[in-house]
Parts: sequence; C-alpha cells; structure tokens
Amino acid sequence: FYWHCVQQHARFIERFGLKELLRAKLTECGWRDQLKAHCKDVIKEKGLEHVTVEDLVVEITPKGRVLVPDSVKKELLQRIRAFLAQHAT
Amino acid sequence: MKMEDMSLSGLDNTKLEALAQDIYSDLVEDACLGLCFEVHRAVKQGYFFLDDTDQESMKDFEIVDQPGVDIFGQVYNQWKNKECVCPNCNRSIAASRFAPHLEKCLGMGRNSSRIANRRIASSNNMNNKSESDQEDNDDVNDNDWSYGSEKKAKKRKSDKNPNSPRRSKSVKHKNGELSNSVNADPYKYNYNTGINYETLGPDELRSLLTTQCGVISEHTKKMCTRSQRCPQHTDEQRRAVRVFLLGPSASSLPDADTMVESDCYDASDGQVLMSRLQWDGSSDISPSDSASSKASTNNSDSKKPKKKKKTSLGLNSTGGGGGGSGSGGGSSSQTSLVGLSNRKKKPKLPVPPAPSIYDNLN
Repeated sequence: FYWHCVQQHARFIERFGLKELLRAKLTECGWRDQLKAHCKDVIKEKGLEHVTVEDLVVEITPKGRVLVPDSVKKELLQRIRAFLAQHAT
Repeated sequence: MKMEDMSLSGLDNTKLEALAQDIYSDLVEDACLGLCFEVHRAVKQGYFFLDDTDQESMKDFEIVDQPGVDIFGQVYNQWKNKECVCPNCNRSIAASRFAPHLEKCLGMGRNSSRIANRRIASSNNMNNKSESDQEDNDDVNDNDWSYGSEKKAKKRKSDKNPNSPRRSKSVKHKNGELSNSVNADPYKYNYNTGINYETLGPDELRSLLTTQCGVISEHTKKMCTRSQRCPQHTDEQRRAVRVFLLGPSASSLPDADTMVESDCYDASDGQVLMSRLQWDGSSDISPSDSASSKASTNNSDSKKPKKKKKTSLGLNSTGGGGGGSGSGGGSSSQTSLVGLSNRKKKPKLPVPPAPSIYDNLN
C-alpha cells in the first residue's frame, strides 16, 4: 500500500507539472488577459465593492473553458494521454 | 481528482480518452479558478485597476524613436549651451562651466583658496605688505577635507589653469583652533604655500610656518605643506627650518593663546614627535627678522640645550621677542622662552637632524 501512495504522490507531482505547463501556455497565448478583461467587465457590472469570488467563478469559468485555444487544448490532451499511458501499467 | 492507477491497464481507449478529457477539463478549470482568486484578491486589495491608464497619459510617455533624442523625447545636449547668470559676479557663464566657476567665485571650492592665496602672495611680493584678508570660510570648508587627511604634500603644483584644477594634494591643516588664533593675529595666515620658500617674503614665511610643517625637502627644496604634526618630519626639522628661514632673531612671540613652554626639552625623541600639538604661534613677527642670519641659526641649532617642553617653533625661541639677532642662539632662545609662559602640552626635541639639509642649501 505504501508504494501505491508513493506512486500516487509522484503522479500528482507530475500532474502538477502539467498544471504549470497549462498555465504557462495559457498566459503565453493571451488567454489569461482575455479572461482578465472579461473579469473587469463583470466587476464593473457587479460593482467593485461587492464582487465575490463566487460571482467571478460563475461568470468566468465557462467562458474560460471556451476560450482555450485549440492548439493548447490539443497539446495538453496529448500530454495527458502520454502521462496516462506511462502510468497505466 | 483521484488517480485511477489501479485499473488503468484494463481500460479501453475510449475510456482512456474520456479520462484524458476529464483530466484536461479539470486542469483548465483549475487554471480558471486560479485566475478568479487572483482577480478577486486584486479587487479587494485595490490594485486591480492599477495598470489602466487613459490614452492621453499613455501618449505622453510613449517611447520615442527619433534620432538625436532619447526614448523619452529629450535632447541630450539641451542644457549644455545654455548660459546661466552667476549670482555672485553677475556674469553669464556657460552651463557646463558653471559649477567650477561658482567654486572660484564664491571662494568655497578646494582650489579656490589656493588661487586666491597665490594671488595674494604675489601681490604681497610686489607690494610688500601683508594681506590681512583671509577667507576664513575656506578654513571651514577645508576642515572636512584636511582633518583626517594624510596625503603626501611634498610637491605642490601650482594650479594656474582654473579650468582644470589639478588635484594637488597639499594638506591644509587648518583647524578650528587655528582659525581662532588667527583672528587675534594681526598677520593673517596665508595659505599660499608657494612651497618655494625663496619666493616668499618673510611675513608670509612666518605665517606659513605657523600653520604648516614647512620642512624643506632636500631634493625638491620645497617646504612641506603638511600640518605641524606631519609624521614625516621631526619637530627639530621644523624648528631648524624656521631658524633657517626666519633667522634666529626672527619670529616674535606667538599669540596669547598659542602655547609655548619655556621648560627644558625632553630628551626622548619618539614620543615628543608624534604627540606634539599643533603649534600656532609664530606669526607675530618683528620686522627685524631677516633671512640673512641663516648661517648663524645653523650654529645656534646645534648648540641648543635640552629643554623639557619646548614647542615646535624653536624658531621662536631663537628669535625671542625682538631679541638680538643671532647672538648665541641658545641663550637668547632660553630667555625669550622664559618670557612666553604659556603652557604647551607637548615637548619638543631640540636636536634637529635637518640642519644638514640647510647647510647644503646654503
């Protein structure tokens, strides 16, 4: 059981690598700024003082998902599959 | 999200693909959330809108890419050729020359007093009168520089060209005490240390010697411009120089606040030398001094008896307050010293190794 946990931990680390990779790619391609601009709109709409995290999340997340450029999506999926294949055995 | 690590091998491709998609959307959502949190925090902390500037001010700071102009649009040489009016002399001075001009003009720079002194000295030589004006503020300004300075001051190149003041390293060792005593002194100190003692009149020599070491270097024939306590020369040397330059009858009594002891010399060299206080005195000079008595001073130097606390200006002792010139320097010195009853803290050495130098010079 111990080894299993170790493996799991290792995988999380690696996933974290994926996470960072995704973030870097998204920033690089401007996704982040786009979304941030959208945030501004939301904030202006809701009022600066009363914006909550939930508000933002609800508004932003779906849009964010959509906005991810295809190239980024493809690459990420590729990596994930590779990752899974690596650890499938 | 938990890792399906146990049964991955058993999954078929579609499931694997679905899994991959899941993971992917998870990752994306995670990124979005991260952004939300960031933005929210920025909003609450108040720095969210900081990078928004209006178009107008953006234009003001736009990067400029023209030749001859820096990226802010400023010209490099713009102020170089402008002229300023000096508040002191009301002359119009070029901007790049303004600072050095001010230094000279206000008499506050490092070299300005030297130049002025030199001028005074040369006019002294011509007019044969002593200038009483000395820029005391120079003393103040030189204080910070000269207090701890131990620069070699053997050679002083005169600084004829005001535009390129050479950093001559002579030390002006004027302290506050010194300036106080100066005020009482009818003959103010000349800072012009032409160093070449031959060009200086007796008055200037005297005043010089009261502030500076003055020991004449053998190879350059120039007077040491360091302070009276300069470690390179002994008190004996200084005294010898004074005797040499001013004559045994030279150097009247110093001022009231100058300190001269008429006790016997101390025999110990080392302590005496380094512990000697700066001596500021012999500028009250009787006009009877002359340099002609140099020969006799040499003799008198060698004959000087040991005394305890004799000041550096043994010359004074030889001169005495208007005492006879050159007659048995030793005895006259003693009598004159008795007259000066002030207490001088540091003893001085009587035996100068220096006279040999002066013999050569003679």
